[in-house]
Amino acid sequence: MGLGDLLPGGGTQKSEGGLGMFGAGSPTFLTTKIDFVINWGRRNSLWPMPFGTACCAIEMMAAAASNFDLARFGMERMSFSPRQADVLICAGRVPYKLAPVLRRIWDQMPQPKWCVSMGACASSGGVFDVYSMVQGIDTIVPVDVYVPGCPPRPEGLIYGLMMIQEKIREESLSRHFEHRAEDPALVALAKANEAEIVGLTGPFGNSTQQEKLSGAPTDDNSA
Amino acid sequence: MTERPLSGLDAVERGPLPSDPSAPAAPAPVEGQSDHPSVAALASRFGPAVQGHRLMAGDQTVVWIAPEKSLEILTWLKDDPAQQYDMMSDVTGVDYGSGRPIEVVYQMFSTVHKRALRLRCRLPLEALEIDSVAGLWHSANWLEREVYDLFGVTFKGHPDLRRILMPFDYAEGHPLRKDFPLRGRFSRAEQTRRALAQDVERFYGSQELAHGGPPQQVPARTEPEAEG
Repeated sequence: MGLGDLLPGGGTQKSEGGLGMFGAGSPTFLTTKIDFVINWGRRNSLWPMPFGTACCAIEMMAAAASNFDLARFGMERMSFSPRQADVLICAGRVPYKLAPVLRRIWDQMPQPKWCVSMGACASSGGVFDVYSMVQGIDTIVPVDVYVPGCPPRPEGLIYGLMMIQEKIREESLSRHFEHRAEDPALVALAKANEAEIVGLTGPFGNSTQQEKLSGAPTDDNSA
Repeated sequence: MTERPLSGLDAVERGPLPSDPSAPAAPAPVEGQSDHPSVAALASRFGPAVQGHRLMAGDQTVVWIAPEKSLEILTWLKDDPAQQYDMMSDVTGVDYGSGRPIEVVYQMFSTVHKRALRLRCRLPLEALEIDSVAGLWHSANWLEREVYDLFGVTFKGHPDLRRILMPFDYAEGHPLRKDFPLRGRFSRAEQTRRALAQDVERFYGSQELAHGGPPQQVPARTEPEAEG
């Protein structure tokens, strides 16, 4: 059963070429929802802004190359200008010196925009629980999808981007400003507030010898 | 019943303790002659300013010199026809902790005589100053900035002694010192706030920044004025 069968009158007036819906007297229009059409267009032409700072970027390049071929999902055009980008892929660790740059790139991207935090370092600081490293880019910019891994495989990144597509599919234009409104007063400021940052990054991180390096007594030397 | 083990938060609040005095100290000079021709020449010319030498890592000759004579010795090593160490490969620092002196290390190579030489200067923590050699080797310029940034050693006479790796307004100290806490001295929230308050134009060129245009501003909604 082809598409023409679903259209009013389309299935009954097949021409000789088999393209009944384009035949004489058949309707040449589709009815659909504006949400569906707009979301269909958005999710199948996501242009990534690659913000690759470390080994995750190598996997991101592999995901874009022919073996995994991100272009199958409409993301073949890596946009190296934030002005023409839809989704920010932060791949790799972000030091504090780079934090204002990441924030500015996010501010420069036009709405609608989404953000993928790729890998352990971008998502939580990873093993770099040190003085110089941002403990998760979600303290700087809003993140839609976290891709775990160190680094994630290209399939992981593709799955994360497909989750973005799924998120777009469920958005509604009627709630555009609810989803997409930005407060100009918050440009270039941290996304998370102070309590959130402390809660997210608290000093119970993942560096294995923090107590020893800080000189706190452990079971071994306090007895 | 022992007191509960301190959590990481307690340790961060209390700050670091002095590092372990039994930790390995700097290697010391050894007695005896050296096969390296520069060692005998240095000893005969500068006498007590040359504090000793040692062969390390198989074939690397290290010479300890007095920091107050470092500029004179390094100038001679560069200009003397029998030395001609014309390449400054690396300038770095070492902190052995426990209040021990910080060492500044010069790694040099002579492309004329095909010889490498390493000099070390011990600087006590209360007098972290040494003459800059950026006027002799251009490569020493950024390397000395790096040592200043990460160890807090002041290089006298340096043309542009600023931080190079850490942000210019970094206020937490010098991170590679042994007494520097692993996660820095400020809270993560304060570090994030300070990081985002950085003036990006100060360390990225205007051409790079102009690439993406000015930051996106959402225009405020205004009521249309009634025409009267």
